[in-house]
Amino acid sequence: MNAFATDMTTAPDGSAEAAAREELLRVDNVSLSFGGVKAITDISFDILKGEIRAIIGPNGAGKTSMLNVINGFYHPQEGTITWQGKERRKMKPYEAASQGIARTFQNVALFKGMTTLDNIMSGRSLKMHRNFFWQLIWRGPAEAEEIEHRRKVEDIIDFLEIQAIRKTPVGRLPYGLQKRVELGRALAMEPDLLLLDEPMAGMNLEEKEDMSRFILDVNQEFGTTIALIEHDMGVVMDLSDRVVVLDYGKKIADGPPEDVQADQNVIDAYLGVSH
Amino acid sequence: MFYREAGQFKTSYKADQALMPILQDRIGLLVILAIAFVVIPVLANDFFLTSIMIPFLVFALAAIGLNVLTGFCGQLSLGTGAFMGVGAYAAYKLTTIFPDANVIVMVLLSGVFSAAIGAVFGLPSLRIKGLYLAVTTLAAQFFLEWCFIRIPWLYNDNASGAIEIPHREAFGVVVSGAEATPIVRYFIVLSITALIAFLMANVLRGRIGRSWMMIRDMDIAAELMGIRPLQTKLMAFAVSSYICGVAGAMMVFFWLNAAEPSSYSIALSFQILFMVILGGLGSLSGSFMGAAFIWILPVFLKFIPGTIGINLAAETVEHVTFMIVGALIIFFLIVEPHGFARLWQIAKQKLRVWPFPY
Repeated sequence: MNAFATDMTTAPDGSAEAAAREELLRVDNVSLSFGGVKAITDISFDILKGEIRAIIGPNGAGKTSMLNVINGFYHPQEGTITWQGKERRKMKPYEAASQGIARTFQNVALFKGMTTLDNIMSGRSLKMHRNFFWQLIWRGPAEAEEIEHRRKVEDIIDFLEIQAIRKTPVGRLPYGLQKRVELGRALAMEPDLLLLDEPMAGMNLEEKEDMSRFILDVNQEFGTTIALIEHDMGVVMDLSDRVVVLDYGKKIADGPPEDVQADQNVIDAYLGVSH
Repeated sequence: MFYREAGQFKTSYKADQALMPILQDRIGLLVILAIAFVVIPVLANDFFLTSIMIPFLVFALAAIGLNVLTGFCGQLSLGTGAFMGVGAYAAYKLTTIFPDANVIVMVLLSGVFSAAIGAVFGLPSLRIKGLYLAVTTLAAQFFLEWCFIRIPWLYNDNASGAIEIPHREAFGVVVSGAEATPIVRYFIVLSITALIAFLMANVLRGRIGRSWMMIRDMDIAAELMGIRPLQTKLMAFAVSSYICGVAGAMMVFFWLNAAEPSSYSIALSFQILFMVILGGLGSLSGSFMGAAFIWILPVFLKFIPGTIGINLAAETVEHVTFMIVGALIIFFLIVEPHGFARLWQIAKQKLRVWPFPY
């Protein structure tokens, strides 16, 4: 398989163990601009199956734009995206969702009028197929399908320890729980790649610890590949296998956490440098 | 105390996700159905059926239709009146083209035409949201009203420009036209409204209802979870317009007997929209409550001066009624902006914990 070969050329900085793993997603020379504003300039990196890949950088570095490119919400002007071995110019949201890319959002994007249960059930939408006329009748196939997916959703509710808020409208939940429900909703899609956009923003230490544990469990027990944007460097360094650092839309470093931490460009980007 | 689900344990997901998981709710619904199907037909006089119950049920159905679109899918529409008109004119054309066919089937079929037209006018919803979408649906309202006036084929070249419902029989009874008895009309309207309300309750709790609510609450997240916005919104427009179309057809076939284009004007659109807002966006029972408030309350208010012996001119009663209803609308919207459905939920919560405050 040539994924291995390209791996060696595009990710020379990856560890030997990582290079041996199969590549899940690769972006090559992606550039994205909005009018005159260049959000992303010529970025290439890969995500290997089963790893936790962190994307970090100062505010406005293009991290969220990068996630939006990966799941097809933004269409880059240049570059290609290779998802599960298939190269394309851009992703489409429906295609990304149906082929196993799920995500959470920086500022919680739950369905506020719906209960926790319905929110997580909504993650199963693509896996449910009973048509309108079955839904009208409800009894029989539509109900059976609903129950079948309810079981899966209840597993996720158990996993995230949110049984007590099952029937609570999510608008009434505290922020930390909303983040957890959002993770649950993404997990309900049974994704191959889970994009987490600042899963720990605005949380206290205890909530961060909980969330870190959930992320590790998802990665290790379900084998889900995770791409993570996070500003808490302690969390990033502890959780991730490899880190991409962006600054002003450009990639300035890529590699295992300890290498990135020592990289002079990264230190300059975060601490500032006199010109 | 009276309304408490303690001890009602659910042992299966099937029972847990039933339409009404709480026993008291099921009893309440049965009581309401018994009143609607048995008590009212036995006790009510023709005036009560014709002036209160039939229009109330027709408006409740139209409010359900608009609620699907605005309350559940979040797409504001001011074209309800026109979509009801499409149903009315379609049913009229159908029954004049096929005089021998069952007119109830024709009424149910007429919704298909308004669904198609509703879906066409729903196309802008992909790019336009909120109040701006409301303006584009206004275009539907004015364009379709123009059609009802300017296309004589629609009203069979009738000199008065109105549609007059012909005499039709089904199952051996007269169901439409001037000879149809109020009780027959009432049963038809009640059955259709109850059936559609039940079917919509099913759709709204399943995958499709959820996909509408996903679009309503956070369309970007919905899209990134694989919901296709255009298909989902158009489906909501079609389903909503179907229901409104059936309501519009029932309005002329089983209530008014004749309709002019002005019967389906923008005033009707607003009336239905107020029912939905006042009853509660995103609530089926709210649609009934909103329709009851807007339609039944004024009728009762008009009788109050006469019954308590105050002699007032008819116009004065009319005006005072307008003022009272208007004031009550403002009052209820201040007390609970989420409508009667939410008030009812709060009341139920209070009943659960009674006699304690919480």
